[in-house]
Amino acid sequence: MKKRIRTFLGALAISVMMAVSGMSVYAEEDVPYDTYNYNYWEDIVKTPAAYTPDGNVSGEDVGTTAFKEPQDLCVSDAGEVYVADTGNNRIVVMDNKMTKVNRIIDTFTRDGKEDHFNAPYGVCVSENNQLYVADSNNARIVVMTPEGEFIKLVNEPKSEILEDDFAFIPLKVTVDYADRIYVISKGAFEGILLFESDGVFSGYFGTIPVKISVWDKFWRRFASKEERSNTQLYIPTEFTGIDVDSGGFIYASNIDSDGKQAVRRLNPQGKDVIQKGENGNVGGDIRIGLYGDYSGPSEIVDVVYRDKGKYSLLDRKRGRIFTYDKEGNLLYIFGGIGLQKGTFQTPAAIEAIEDEILVLDAGRNTILKFKETNYGNLINEAVGLRFDGDETKAIELWKQVLELDENNELANSGIGKAYLTAGDNEKAMHYFELGMNKKYYSIAYKRYRNQILADNLGWILSIVIVLIIGGVIFKRIWNKKKGKKREEGLL
Amino acid sequence: MIKKQLSKDKWKFMLYTISHPADGYYEIRHREKGSPIIAVLLVILFSVVWSINRISAGFIVNDIDPRDVNSISELITVLLFFFLICVSNWSITCLMDGKGRLKDIMIAIGYSTLPATVCILIGTLLSQFVSKDEAAFYTMICGIGIAYTLFMMLVGVMTVHNFTLGKTIITILLTVVAMLLIIFVVLLIVDLVNQVYSFLWSIYQELMFRA
Repeated sequence: MKKRIRTFLGALAISVMMAVSGMSVYAEEDVPYDTYNYNYWEDIVKTPAAYTPDGNVSGEDVGTTAFKEPQDLCVSDAGEVYVADTGNNRIVVMDNKMTKVNRIIDTFTRDGKEDHFNAPYGVCVSENNQLYVADSNNARIVVMTPEGEFIKLVNEPKSEILEDDFAFIPLKVTVDYADRIYVISKGAFEGILLFESDGVFSGYFGTIPVKISVWDKFWRRFASKEERSNTQLYIPTEFTGIDVDSGGFIYASNIDSDGKQAVRRLNPQGKDVIQKGENGNVGGDIRIGLYGDYSGPSEIVDVVYRDKGKYSLLDRKRGRIFTYDKEGNLLYIFGGIGLQKGTFQTPAAIEAIEDEILVLDAGRNTILKFKETNYGNLINEAVGLRFDGDETKAIELWKQVLELDENNELANSGIGKAYLTAGDNEKAMHYFELGMNKKYYSIAYKRYRNQILADNLGWILSIVIVLIIGGVIFKRIWNKKKGKKREEGLL
Repeated sequence: MIKKQLSKDKWKFMLYTISHPADGYYEIRHREKGSPIIAVLLVILFSVVWSINRISAGFIVNDIDPRDVNSISELITVLLFFFLICVSNWSITCLMDGKGRLKDIMIAIGYSTLPATVCILIGTLLSQFVSKDEAAFYTMICGIGIAYTLFMMLVGVMTVHNFTLGKTIITILLTVVAMLLIIFVVLLIVDLVNQVYSFLWSIYQELMFRA
């Protein structure tokens, strides 16, 4: 009897566990947006969700008045979250978990007088723990301590390389480890404005080259002077968002009308050194509609550098968040525009706290939180190991990814690379083929072929010798026969 | 009749034509040495090899999603395209004093597909054993085959019609125009027939409902 009860209880426990786990799986997949990726042929492939909505934070939630069109978000090394509450002319500082307001910076004392922000658009906390505010309508960058005590101003730049009617309207700001200040100013399509740590303007940085198509050139040839002056000017697009990694490389996003490259990784000389994946695309969506409400290429408004070479782009057109690894492979896509929980109205800025992604919605005046799922975590971990050069350790993680997403090309390639390093060329080839990785397949195949040739060299050589001897003998017999026939007058 | 068209001599002469295009096509035009049935068979063979290449060329050189390949529809497309080329070339050359009959044009085009067929087949076999830096060999072999095929088509059309090179090129350009015209007319007719059909069908339905 006791035994029976025990089995009954066991069965009950198992069924409850199954129900719970089934429910949690369901909840994990029950996201209000599409989660997908692109395969080798650039077809859309549905994937499990890498991130799920994890609530949202409004001004009231953290114990202050509502945000008004907030435009930027920044997480300091200490873990505090800074929001540029543009419409309310203030900076709101929240704690790490975003449950309460630590302080609100709306006034500061400069030269003994009280001073205010006017539409602070961008905010950034440097590695040296100083707060930089892009005070857009006052045309200045305000540098302060994180507590809100004034340190200095960076004023409108004066230089002969600037045009006479140049207006300094700083929108986004970031600071590298050497306290150089990178500013995106409205309408400054020549590039990012770079200031030295003492606030002196040193020049433009990372200009986007202008693209003129052959077709445009062709038409310009036939256009009259008047027509030419009436056509659109060929000016580069402006940068929209900016971030910096620990090595001092600047990640800057822009709206690319071709949808090919919406982010640049700029080295200290301002040269673009971004790596692109197999399809050469770091511009968000690849398959796009040509007409209708959601047509056209992605409009990337912000970029955040995350750890281990990963960076995420925020698209305001379809509300997607694209995450790439250092090599430019698209890791996962999630997010969408809508009215449901976990979707955006006007996404404006993106930030990351460890494994959590924060998106600032200027339309809803809230911050949306996203937490990584098991699937997202596995990919993040595996990419991290690859970044560190421990690819062989990533094999277990990639195998778990395959259990969730059978056709994940990145996972298959990852496993292939591990086998290649381990010397198992045949298995490596198998996985590279599944991962559509031709470059590495070729390497594995070459090794495999050499191995087979080396193993069977004896056989191959003896077959070749037999063939040669056989050929010679056959030819002799053939010639003799022909000769006979010729003698008989048959040919 | 069919037996005669497929006789050993005809096959042998086909091979002779591959190696001696100008002479071969001349004999085909004037001494009845060619066979249109063999020509059609060669086109079918070409289509089959083409599909084989698309499905099972080696992973390194193959950029085609195998799920997109339908060998039956490819066969139909290739055959239709073959007949379209032949008919439009024939209709153009008829007006331009071409000496070739439809039969000769079919043979000229059909026979000349053989080099491409053979080379693509060899390339497909070879592609199973190449790495990425050796993939150029595959491209080269297929390229040679296709180039020889195009050359043979040019020589074939030139010889069977007894044209000069310049006139041949002009007729080929006109052939393309004729092909587009034929496609246009066919689409027009298909649309018209559809409309007539639906008109009759609605009359029939109306009558049935009222009766």
